[in-house]
Amino acid sequence: MVLNRKEILERIRRGKASDNGSLVITPLLYEKEKEKDVFDADSVDLRLGCYFLLPKMLDRPFFSPDKSSATSLHVRVHVPLGQFLVVPAHQTILGATLEFIKLPADVSGQVLTKSSVARTFIVVETAPWIHPQYRGCLTLEIANVSNTPVLLYPGRFICQLILMHTARSSRNRKAGAKRTRNGEEKPDPSYFGPVYPEAPKFNDPQDDLLKIGMTCVSRLKKTQLDWKDEKWSERKSEVEEW
Amino acid sequence: MQTGIAAFLHDAAVLYTLADFIEKYCKEQARSQRYTDASGDFFRYSQSVAHEVKERLGHDVDRAGNLPSSRVDTLRRNALTFKNYLRVLHTFIKPVADAHTLSIPAPLVELACEHLRQIQGMSGSRVAVLLTPLLMYFQRPHTHVKQQAETVGRLIPEAEEFPPRLGFIELPYSQGPGFFTNLAIYHEMGHFVYEELSTSTSPIAQFVSLAQATDRSLRRFTKLQKDAQLQRLAEKIIESWTQEVFCDLLALYLVGPAFSFALVEIFALLGSLSREKRVTFSQEHPAPAFRFAEHVEFLRNGCKWWSAIADVKPDQKKLLLEFSEISRRQYTVYEDDVPKALIAPFLDTIVPRIRELVRGIAPDATPAAERFSNERETIEDCLKVGVVPHSRVGGPPDPVSIINTAFCFYLTSLPDIVERFEGTKAAASAEKRSEWTRKLEDWTMKAIEDSQIQSQFERMQRDGPQQERNSRTHT
Repeated sequence: MVLNRKEILERIRRGKASDNGSLVITPLLYEKEKEKDVFDADSVDLRLGCYFLLPKMLDRPFFSPDKSSATSLHVRVHVPLGQFLVVPAHQTILGATLEFIKLPADVSGQVLTKSSVARTFIVVETAPWIHPQYRGCLTLEIANVSNTPVLLYPGRFICQLILMHTARSSRNRKAGAKRTRNGEEKPDPSYFGPVYPEAPKFNDPQDDLLKIGMTCVSRLKKTQLDWKDEKWSERKSEVEEW
Repeated sequence: MQTGIAAFLHDAAVLYTLADFIEKYCKEQARSQRYTDASGDFFRYSQSVAHEVKERLGHDVDRAGNLPSSRVDTLRRNALTFKNYLRVLHTFIKPVADAHTLSIPAPLVELACEHLRQIQGMSGSRVAVLLTPLLMYFQRPHTHVKQQAETVGRLIPEAEEFPPRLGFIELPYSQGPGFFTNLAIYHEMGHFVYEELSTSTSPIAQFVSLAQATDRSLRRFTKLQKDAQLQRLAEKIIESWTQEVFCDLLALYLVGPAFSFALVEIFALLGSLSREKRVTFSQEHPAPAFRFAEHVEFLRNGCKWWSAIADVKPDQKKLLLEFSEISRRQYTVYEDDVPKALIAPFLDTIVPRIRELVRGIAPDATPAAERFSNERETIEDCLKVGVVPHSRVGGPPDPVSIINTAFCFYLTSLPDIVERFEGTKAAASAEKRSEWTRKLEDWTMKAIEDSQIQSQFERMQRDGPQQERNSRTHT
């Protein structure tokens, strides 16, 4: 069941941040008499934050999701409020919401592009689901699918958060999830409480595949260029095995 | 060695290359990175000076061929003045360029500047941050830079004026984006305030009184010591000690006990808390034990901070108390470095005047301590569940409350939060603790940033967009 404005506001005003049922969205910038500026009938509008991860030019012709992903794929950029970032045509960047969010233990969330933003051919999020108890600024994949560069201003609304009630039961806990002392499920510590957009975190493929019994895993070696016949030519990529 | 016009042309070409590089470098930095407003202004100024120097050189070279040799010598002397000034700017530009907003705690720097402007006589002031390779915090004296800027300004009236009331603070590059130890910038900001006060054309009464007390103490010393070199050294030492105590007290007024805790962390990092070093006065600094005793004295009797942190029990607080109980008879000096006879007059005559001076210019610290008492529980409640501190009712929490609560939380409850979310084994891991310290610092900085955004939003709601625009222009 999707939470309506009244329920969302009630959750926000409920008790302390440590209360399992409370919802945190901070900072909430709206006039008290004009709740509709931020809270729609069944969603909350979120603003774009000031930090971004832009794709880096790689020194190899491919990207392999492994342990080095957190630092190898992106370059971090700060754009203060009042300034803008240009997203080139057909490029995707990572941003984050200005708002820090903590979901209650019985609420899941989904992030959708604001319709007005979508009509400028900016698409936010392709992995929009937020698990109960998540806390942090939401990392947003922002794609400019138009043919022209688009300016993004931190502080402007970019997406909307839809909140849904999730029945709490020991059965729907994530497999293997541990509990804290007061009984709540421990959130994933690797994505716990970020305030900047987060680069993806992967294990090396051989570690992941070992868990399902694969002991022999191929990897692509870095392609090299050779000087032959007075011109550079690409040496064919080789496959080697761990 | 070339002489006359040939020499002038050679000098002009070398200087033109330097000015051209500086102009392009500043322009490139401002385009490729984001900086605090103060750093941005400094780049704009440096770029403008470099540009005008190039223009002037072009003009001078054009007319040098038609001038008598005595006039060419004058042009050459002017070029030397420009070169000397660009050389000074050169030493500032690279460390300022390194200190872009991703490599420094920008929200803390902005907050510190806001606090700086609340000090009497410091309205409109701000500081640009530099990154230093040394593991120390510094304030770069700026008076000589401004004097040189004025000289250059007289020779090139088209050049922009040196940004008014601009100070320079250096952070160790390794501590750059961190938060807790960087509270030391409040101390360095104190040096900037002191420099401004001491060069003011109309000094405030408490500053005059401090200068008189210093004179009296030095006269007492010079009666006993006839060696002129030693007298000069004594003067320098007293000046350094005075500034250090002034800066500590000013930082405590502005940011509360979190500054003392930060200083303990830094001293521990630098190895200044050993049994011997803690009671030893050096040429530049009073003994750490004395400095912390002054902190405790202020926190206890100068405001309500001590009672506000009565139930916080970090080891750092015990250490402060331990230091404050060390008898002044145990204070000593580095042999052959500092005359021991300076300590007593400094403590008895000068320190009370420093306290008066700081009390006279800094905003009252008691309201901040009271706000901390009211807001601490809410802020702590957020931190212990890994949420950015905020307030559900009323306005945003006061940044000084956020800083002090977060620091106390860091000192007392870090293992608890690591254990809560990652287990007992992680709580005993240095790597995990460091990781969670970084998270805590991020939440604290985000809370300060949010608090600034929210206050700005509320001000705009109250006063309208025009007022908000004006207040930003004035500050």
